[in-house]
Amino acid sequence: MKGKILLVVLLILSVFLSACTCPNCPAKGQPGVSVQARAADHPAVTEQEKLMPCFECHKEATPEIYSEWFESGHGKGMVKCYECHGTYEDMKAVPYMSVCAVCHSGQFHKTVDGKVCWECHPVHSFTVHN
Amino acid sequence: MGLSRREFIKRTAALSAASYVGMHLPFSLEGKARAADADRWVRGSCRLCGVGCRVDLGIKNGKAVALRGVPESRTNLGYVCMKGMLFYKILGHPERLTKPLYRSTKTDKFKEISWDQALDIAAKQFADSVRKHGSDSVAYYGSGQALTEETYLFQKIMRGGLQTNNVEGNPRLCMASAVGGYLTSFGADEPIGGYADIDQASCFFIIGSNMAEAHPVVFRRVMKRKLDNPNAVKIINVDPRISPTSRIADMHLQFKPGTDLAILNAMAYVILEEKLYDEEFISNYSTFRQSKKVEVDFDTYRKFISDYSPENAAETCGGNITADNIRQAARWFAKSNGTVSMWTMGINQRKRGVWANNLIHNLHILTGQLLKPGADSLSLTGQPNACGGVREGGGLCHILPGHRLVKKEKLRNQVELAWGIPKGRIPPKPGYHTMAMFSAINAGKIKAIWVHCTSPAQSLPNADLYRKGMKREDVFIVTTDIFPTKTTELANLVLPTAFHFEKTGVYGCTERRSQITPKAVDPPAGARPEVWIVREWALRLARELNDPVIKKCVEPFIGKEESFDLPKAIWDEYSQKLTKGRDNDLRGATYDVLMKMADGVQWPAPTEEFALTGGTVKKFVRGMDPMADSEARDDKPYQFYGPAHPDRKLWIWLRPQQGPAETPDAEYPFYLSTGRIIDHWHTTSMTGRIPELMRANPYAFVEINPKDAAKLGIKPGDMVEVKSRRGTNVLPAKIYEGPIQGMVFVYWHDMFEDRMINRVTKDAYDPGSKEPEFKICACRIRKVSGPKPLKPYIVS
Ligand code: SF4
Repeated sequence: MKGKILLVVLLILSVFLSACTCPNCPAKGQPGVSVQARAADHPAVTEQEKLMPCFECHKEATPEIYSEWFESGHGKGMVKCYECHGTYEDMKAVPYMSVCAVCHSGQFHKTVDGKVCWECHPVHSFTVHN
Repeated sequence: MGLSRREFIKRTAALSAASYVGMHLPFSLEGKARAADADRWVRGSCRLCGVGCRVDLGIKNGKAVALRGVPESRTNLGYVCMKGMLFYKILGHPERLTKPLYRSTKTDKFKEISWDQALDIAAKQFADSVRKHGSDSVAYYGSGQALTEETYLFQKIMRGGLQTNNVEGNPRLCMASAVGGYLTSFGADEPIGGYADIDQASCFFIIGSNMAEAHPVVFRRVMKRKLDNPNAVKIINVDPRISPTSRIADMHLQFKPGTDLAILNAMAYVILEEKLYDEEFISNYSTFRQSKKVEVDFDTYRKFISDYSPENAAETCGGNITADNIRQAARWFAKSNGTVSMWTMGINQRKRGVWANNLIHNLHILTGQLLKPGADSLSLTGQPNACGGVREGGGLCHILPGHRLVKKEKLRNQVELAWGIPKGRIPPKPGYHTMAMFSAINAGKIKAIWVHCTSPAQSLPNADLYRKGMKREDVFIVTTDIFPTKTTELANLVLPTAFHFEKTGVYGCTERRSQITPKAVDPPAGARPEVWIVREWALRLARELNDPVIKKCVEPFIGKEESFDLPKAIWDEYSQKLTKGRDNDLRGATYDVLMKMADGVQWPAPTEEFALTGGTVKKFVRGMDPMADSEARDDKPYQFYGPAHPDRKLWIWLRPQQGPAETPDAEYPFYLSTGRIIDHWHTTSMTGRIPELMRANPYAFVEINPKDAAKLGIKPGDMVEVKSRRGTNVLPAKIYEGPIQGMVFVYWHDMFEDRMINRVTKDAYDPGSKEPEFKICACRIRKVSGPKPLKPYIVS
């Protein structure tokens, strides 16, 4: 019981320490996970951990992606991870393109047939054309 | 053994990035409708902030399933923020209130009653109070989120029916100082320009505003302007706290809270010293004022401003303020091709909020950075209909619809005539302003109050003091809302209402723009639109008090179908009869026109033909504003016809530096400031019920400067007591180089008692605008424990 409380405290602490390593958390996913990774494929997270912004872990786990995002228009404009990738119940590692349409539907008529947005606009930085 | 989570995430992300090509599913196959799989789309406005983004709501099988921005809308150009993107989840939310709830005493449990019973009780309570204690024993406390039709009808019943001006609303807590500033500087409420200026501006002066979080879609527009023109566009951010807004700034002026007036006067000093002012503009269009009645000359102003040399100001303001950066800021401001100032609560929620507003306007008048493309003094509104419903619709104790002052008999008579009620029916004395209203409840002077679409139990400063009054058994509280809140917890009668897109009505956003949102889906069974509730209540009141004038107030609306015809009839009365000839002339903005427009109409718009062009982009400019032509008195291109300045001039004010009502001392050595966060709206009664938003910011924390934290031995996540002379919170610490040293900052959305920061804030208010000084008080902090597990909390 004591250990459990300690773990919870550590998890909360991690929110404020800005990086989560949590080696104790069992990882559910397997190597070679599909690009259609969904909530079930994300490493198990507790209800407490679900209350952390995604980037708190990803800052360290995927620093390149984090800084691409942080420096992008999305990062500066505070378009956060969950806006495109959803939250734990409906998470998509690769969002459907329709999620772009929530804000960018005006640009959709300019897309090249058969291409997705991020073929021309580099994913996470979205600044210039590929 | 599986991979560690860190390795797993790394690998998944790398794989995903490598495999993006070809992952697009056609819209029609996407299953869960997010943007395309809807039966139909209905156009309206976002429910949440004052930006006024236009959105299409996707409907499938009668349910809201998706939302997208409207690209052709001039307010948001298709963009929405995460709150806007997700608010459709509130329609049909399982926790919605659907039954009227009643209890005769506040210690009882609520029981469900019928609408007939509920309306009878509400009418009887208000009527009894008026009979026994007089008209001023009843009150209405509304919201900048209520539709214009709702605010208008409520205030009509209160003033014309019950004969009291006790009509207030939460915009008093956020916009009243901006109203005071516009009226005293420009002679007319609301901005001269609007968002279109952002696209042409080359200098932005952002003061007392974290617009990246509080107005994300306008911020995006500023950001785009900057990123597209990184060298030509300069951004000055002035705030005691470094916030996400500061990320795009060329210069961040961080100063001791409460010294903002000194900075603004010091910029004016530089403008005079370096002759950066526009002499012709000043002599043509402005005067200098010491008070409303005392006009002074340029030399007197010069003498006044001589106390505010940048060197003096740097000393007063502390922080990183130097004489050089004040000079640089003033030069950028004055010399740019177009400067737009933007501010919100950091300026308005000050003991001298009106003065602070005046001093921003001063800089624009002095430099002529007004009325031309890319230049404006643009106060950002917090709520979606604070401007439209409350400022224009007569939702405050001292104003009647159409920017009319209660105290002016001629204007009262115009309203009485329009309503067809006897002359003299509207009392001449303004009612209680917000803080006076809740003080009157504390004193037992108000016996029945209707709180609509807002939660004063959480949003008033020094909340415990006023909650004490609201708990009194001799004040009957009616609330109209969609979810339980901290205020419904103190109510006698809770009435479940229809939500946005479940009813029809108009919102007016920051830039004088009125936009309609029509009913798109049915409200949950049992919830009703407010306009229906008020009409039925008024008819009962008329019977209870045997007063035909009350009935007369709703006569034009009797028998109208509640989802469209009724609000349309109310809007028609308001726009055609009450705005005619006023500076917010909305006669052209009929429901027909509003339904046709992608993004509504900017007033003045006296005719439908003009309204169909979008209305007035710049007020007071001949050729752009039809009233500048019809009200012109000479050949000059600008005509200031606003109701508050009979001399038709812009006023440059002599306003001295004045600090906050409470400053730190040995006992309470820190400044406390509060603010908003991007993922939540106000008190979280709505956004806290959307899992994505709640998870993104599940509870409030206290931001502490690392140097202060080190001194006090506070580490990240430690539980910290924040205590003032009024109340105490205990919150987790975020150690962050945001607040200036000596200041702590807390977001105000959290409903949990220990993290409800308005129990700690101070209820001092601006003597002019009566807006409270939420932004500054004194507190002390101490670590009470290490990190603790916390849970998000929402009243259920
Ligand atoms: S910026 Fe404001 S109006 Fe626009 S989507 Fe966000 S909350 Fe809604």
